Amino acid sequence: MEIDVRNLHPLEIRLLRHVSPGEAVTAQRLIDELDYKIGQCNQAFSWLTAKGFLEETDRKFRTLFELTELGQQQLEIGTPAQRIFNLLKSKGPASLPEIAEELALEKSDVGSAFGMLSKSGTCRMGEGNKAEAVAEKAPAEVLVAAKVLEKASVEALDESALDEEERNFVAKNSKKRGAAGSPLKIIEREEVFFALTDAGANAKAALLAANITGEELGSVTTSMLSSGSWKQASFRPYSLNTPSARLIPGRRNPYGSYLQWVKDKLCSLGFEEFDGPLVENEFWNGDALFMPQFHSARDIHDVYYVKNPSHAKQIEEPYLSQVAQTHENGWSTGSRGWRYSFDHEFTRRQVMRSQGTVLSAKTLPHAKVPGKYFGVARCFRYDQVDATHGADFYQTEGIVLGEDVNLKTLLGLLKMFAEEVAGAEEVKYVPGYFPFTEPSIEVHIKHPVLGWFELGGSGIFRPEVTKALGIDVPVLAWGLGIDRMALMHLGLNDLRELFTPDIESVRMRRGN
Amino acid sequence: MPKIEVHENLFNSLLGTPYTDEQLEAVFPVAKAELDGHDVAEKLYKIELNDTNRPDLWSAAGVARQLVSYRDKAIARYDFFSTAEEELDSEGRRLVVHESAALVRPFSIGFAATGKVVDEEILLNLIQSQEKLCNNFGRKRKTIAMGVYRSDMITYPVHFEGADPDKAHFVPLHMDEDLTLREICAKHPKGLEYGPIVADKPVFPFLYDDANGVLSFPPVINSARIGAVEVGDEHLFFEFSGTGLDDLLLAASIVACDCSDMGFTILPVRCEFPYDTDYGRMITVPYYFQQPAACELGFLRKMLGDALSGEQVVDALCRMGVFALVDENMVYITVPEYRNDFLHPVDIVEDVMIGHGLENFAPELPNDSTVGRITEEEAFARKVKELMVGLGFQEMMYNYLGSKREYIENMHVDGSDYIQIANPMSENYEYVRPSVIPSLLESESVSGHAVYPHQIFEVGKVAFLDESDNSGTTTRNYLGFLGASSDMGFNQLSSQISTLFYFLNREYVMQEMADPRFIDGRCGKLVSKGVEVGIFGEVHPAVLESWGIAMPTVACEIDLDLLK
Repeated sequence: MEIDVRNLHPLEIRLLRHVSPGEAVTAQRLIDELDYKIGQCNQAFSWLTAKGFLEETDRKFRTLFELTELGQQQLEIGTPAQRIFNLLKSKGPASLPEIAEELALEKSDVGSAFGMLSKSGTCRMGEGNKAEAVAEKAPAEVLVAAKVLEKASVEALDESALDEEERNFVAKNSKKRGAAGSPLKIIEREEVFFALTDAGANAKAALLAANITGEELGSVTTSMLSSGSWKQASFRPYSLNTPSARLIPGRRNPYGSYLQWVKDKLCSLGFEEFDGPLVENEFWNGDALFMPQFHSARDIHDVYYVKNPSHAKQIEEPYLSQVAQTHENGWSTGSRGWRYSFDHEFTRRQVMRSQGTVLSAKTLPHAKVPGKYFGVARCFRYDQVDATHGADFYQTEGIVLGEDVNLKTLLGLLKMFAEEVAGAEEVKYVPGYFPFTEPSIEVHIKHPVLGWFELGGSGIFRPEVTKALGIDVPVLAWGLGIDRMALMHLGLNDLRELFTPDIESVRMRRGN
Repeated sequence: MPKIEVHENLFNSLLGTPYTDEQLEAVFPVAKAELDGHDVAEKLYKIELNDTNRPDLWSAAGVARQLVSYRDKAIARYDFFSTAEEELDSEGRRLVVHESAALVRPFSIGFAATGKVVDEEILLNLIQSQEKLCNNFGRKRKTIAMGVYRSDMITYPVHFEGADPDKAHFVPLHMDEDLTLREICAKHPKGLEYGPIVADKPVFPFLYDDANGVLSFPPVINSARIGAVEVGDEHLFFEFSGTGLDDLLLAASIVACDCSDMGFTILPVRCEFPYDTDYGRMITVPYYFQQPAACELGFLRKMLGDALSGEQVVDALCRMGVFALVDENMVYITVPEYRNDFLHPVDIVEDVMIGHGLENFAPELPNDSTVGRITEEEAFARKVKELMVGLGFQEMMYNYLGSKREYIENMHVDGSDYIQIANPMSENYEYVRPSVIPSLLESESVSGHAVYPHQIFEVGKVAFLDESDNSGTTTRNYLGFLGASSDMGFNQLSSQISTLFYFLNREYVMQEMADPRFIDGRCGKLVSKGVEVGIFGEVHPAVLESWGIAMPTVACEIDLDLLK
C-alpha cells in the first residue's frame, strides 16, 4: 500500500522516527521519552495500527497506587502516627481524646495509629491513661509511610517497584473503591505493547529520507505572521479527506426559491406581477368570471365561506351592474346570458379566494393594452387534505391582452411556457373546458422524467367576462400546474410537504 | 367533472366498429373526454367528461354520437321533434299539469319510447343518465328530476299536481308500505335525501295517471308499481319535472336522442299547462326549442387567427354534429336538438376549432412588447429575505389556515379580530392565519430533533378583521422570525432587529408593551415614523408550555406593508 508519509500527523511522525524495529513501544515510553500525554499516545497508536505501521504484540495488567487527596494532605503534614509521635515528644504525655482534639483527628484514627505506635514499642499507655513516647525516633513504619507518599506524589507507584516494607504499608493503606479515607488508591491499568511492522519500518525510513520531523507548523497564527517565524519552518500538510463538521447556514426555502425562479422567468417573458387579498367575495370569485351563481363549483362544499363579516359592504360599479346584466341576459356582450335572476345579496358573500383567475379578473378593469400579467396566488379549497390536495395552495395564473391575440398566439404562449418554464420536449394541445374561457385548451407536455402530463389550462376569456369588466380586446388566460413541477424539482411526492413545519426537513431539502 | 361507466357491448354497437383503448384516447378529445380506465373483466369503460356545459355527452350514446359524427362527418338526424311550427301526432298521450303545481314545481313534461326490450346494459345506462342529468346538471334534482315508468300500465292522460302531502299516498319503490308523501320524506332513504327540496312547500309534487295509478312523487321517489322499470320491459314513459322549462326540454331531448340511438322508437306526448310558458300552453315533447345561432366569419377568423374558408367552417361544424351554412360574412348554425350551450358566438368558434382539428393551428408567439416586473411588495420581500438569510435564518413556508388551538388557545390570546371560516371541513382549518408567529411556534413544537440553535423565518401573508376595509378584513405581508436555543435571549433578538432595520434603511424605536404571548418587561413594539410596525420579545413560558416547547424562544413579527 502506497502511503504518502507527508499526510502523517506529527504524533505519528515523531513516534515513527523515535522507535526502531524490534523495540517495545508502550504509552509509558512515549510519555517518558517524547513527552506525549496519554491521550496523544492513544491517538498515535490507533492511527498507526489502522495504517498497519504498528502492531500489538502483548498486553499486561499493572497495579498502580495513586495518591488520594488525603494522601496528599498526609504528605504535607504527616501521617496520623507521625503526628501523634511528634506531639507526644514535644508536649509530653496526653490522653487519646486530648490528642484527637489537639490534632483535629477522628478518635478512631488516633486509636489505630496509637495501636501501631505501641505495638512497635515507641509509645505506650502510661499513668492516668495518658500516652507517652518512649523512643527517640519514630518507628520504621512511619518512615516508610513518608517515603511511599513522597514517591507516590511524583507518579503512580508500580507494585512491582516496591520493596517489602513499602508493599506492607501500601497493602494496609490503599483501597480500590471509596478510597477517600485512605491515602492511596489502587488503579489497575492494562499496558499494551506495540512494535513496528515492516510497513512501519518503511515509513520510518521514508520520513527520515524526506527529512520530515513532525515539528512542521500547524495552524498559521498571528504571532507566526508578525514574527516571521514561519520563514524558518515548513508547514505540515493537512489530510484533505477528514470528514468535515456540519454547518447550519441561513438559507432560502427551496420551494420559495423555485417560485421566485418561476416569477423571474415570467418577468423575463414580459409579464407583470399582480397580487390581491386572501378574502374575496362571490362577485370576483365567480360572478365576474361568468360562472352562474348556481354553478356546482360554487357550492358550499367547494368554497370556504367567511363567518364574519359574511358579506362585503359593496361591489364596485359599474362592474356589478354590468356583470349582473350579463348573467341575466348577456347585457351588450353579444351573449344571451344565463337567463336567471342575479342575486345581489349572494354576490357580496365573502369567501376565501378559491382560484387564481380571480386576480386576473380583478386586473382587467385597469389593465394596459397590450399587457401581460401573472400572479402566484394562494388559493383555498374545501377539500379533504391528502397527498394531492391542500387546504391552501399556490396557483400560477395570468392573462395576455392585445388587439391581435388569438388561438394561435395562445398556442404559442403555451409552447413558450412548456419549453421555458417546464423544460418540455414535446407539447400537445387538447380542447378543454373552463366556465370563463371559450375556446379552452389544455396543454400537455412530455417531460424527460415524468412522461406526459397536464401542464396547465388556458383559453380566451369569454366576452361575457372581459366586456363586463370594460375590456374590448381578446384576452388570453392561462394557469400552470407549478406545484407539480415544484414537487418534481424538490424530489417530493406529497403536496403537504411543500408547507411542512419540520425544520430539519426544510434544512436538508435541495432542488434538482 | 362527470364520470360515467359505459358497457363495451353497448358502446361498440353505438360506434358501429370497436375501437382499441389507444384509438379511443386519440379521438376522445373531440368530446372533451378522457379514458379514465378500462375494466376488461367487467367490460366497462370509465370515461371522464370535462365539459360541464354539455350534458348530452354524459352517456354512452352521447359520447358515441360525437365520435361518429366527427369520424363520418355526418350529422345525426332525429324525426320525432315537434317545433313551434309543426306539432307531431301524440296519439292521445297527454300529460296535464294542474294549477296547484305552480306552488311547488311548476313544470312537468314527458315522452314515451317503445320498440326495444330493456336489457341489463340499457337499464344501467338509463339509471346513469338519470343520475348525471339530475345530480350534475339538475343541481341534485332541484331543477331537474327525471323518472322512468312502465308506459303500458299507464292510462293517459298523466296528471301532475301539487298534492296535499298528508293525503296523497302510495307504495314507494323499494318499500312495501303505503305512505303519505310526508311520511315518505321522513321514512324513505330517498325521502330523507331529496325531501328537503320541497319540504317547506304547502303542497308536494304528485304524478299519477287517469286511473289514479301513482307514477311518482317527484323529485323524490317512484311508485313500486308503474315506477318499477325492469329488464324485459319494452314500453317506457319518461317524465321530467323542475323549475325551468328550457332545462327540462333539453334533458328530455337528450334522453330521447339517446333512446333513439339505442333502438327505441320515440312517441311524442302532448304536455298541457294551465299557465303561459315561453312555448305556449301546449307543448308536444320531444320539442325543439333552440334558437338558431350565428357568428360573423371575420370574428371567427380573428379569434382563431386563421383565415378559414366558409367551406372549412361548415365542414368543421359538420364534424361536430352541427349543421351550418355560410352566407356572405355570417356563419349560421342549427343548434343540435340535444345541445343548448351556444350562449355567444365564441361557442361556435370553439366548435369550429375542435372540428377543424387543434393540430391544424400552428402556434405563433404573441408579438406585443411588454415590460415584465414583480410587485413592489415582492421586491421588498426579497430584500428582507436576503437579510434574514444573511443573519443565519432558515426560510420556512406555511399553510394559511389553522385551528383555534394553534392560533388562539396556544397563543393565550382572545382572537377577537381573527377571520373564522363559516363552513370548515375540519377544525384543523378553521381560522385564517392572523400572524406568522403561531406557524413558527408550530415548527418549533415539531422540531425538537433538529440541531440547535433554530433560527427560522417566513415572509408571507396574514389576514385579520379590519372594519375600515370594504371586506371588513385586511391581508398583509408580514415577516415573522423566531430563535430557539438554550442561550437564546432578548439581547440577540435586539441585535438582529437592529441589523435588519439598519440595512433596510429604516429608523425605529422600541417601546415597552404588555402582550400575553411574551414575558412582561421583555417584549415591546417596534415603532417606525410614529407607526407601530411590529412586535418582538421573549416568548412566554406559558405559551411555550401550550405548544410543548422546552427551549427558550424569542420571536419578532413585522408588517412589511407598513415599512416598504
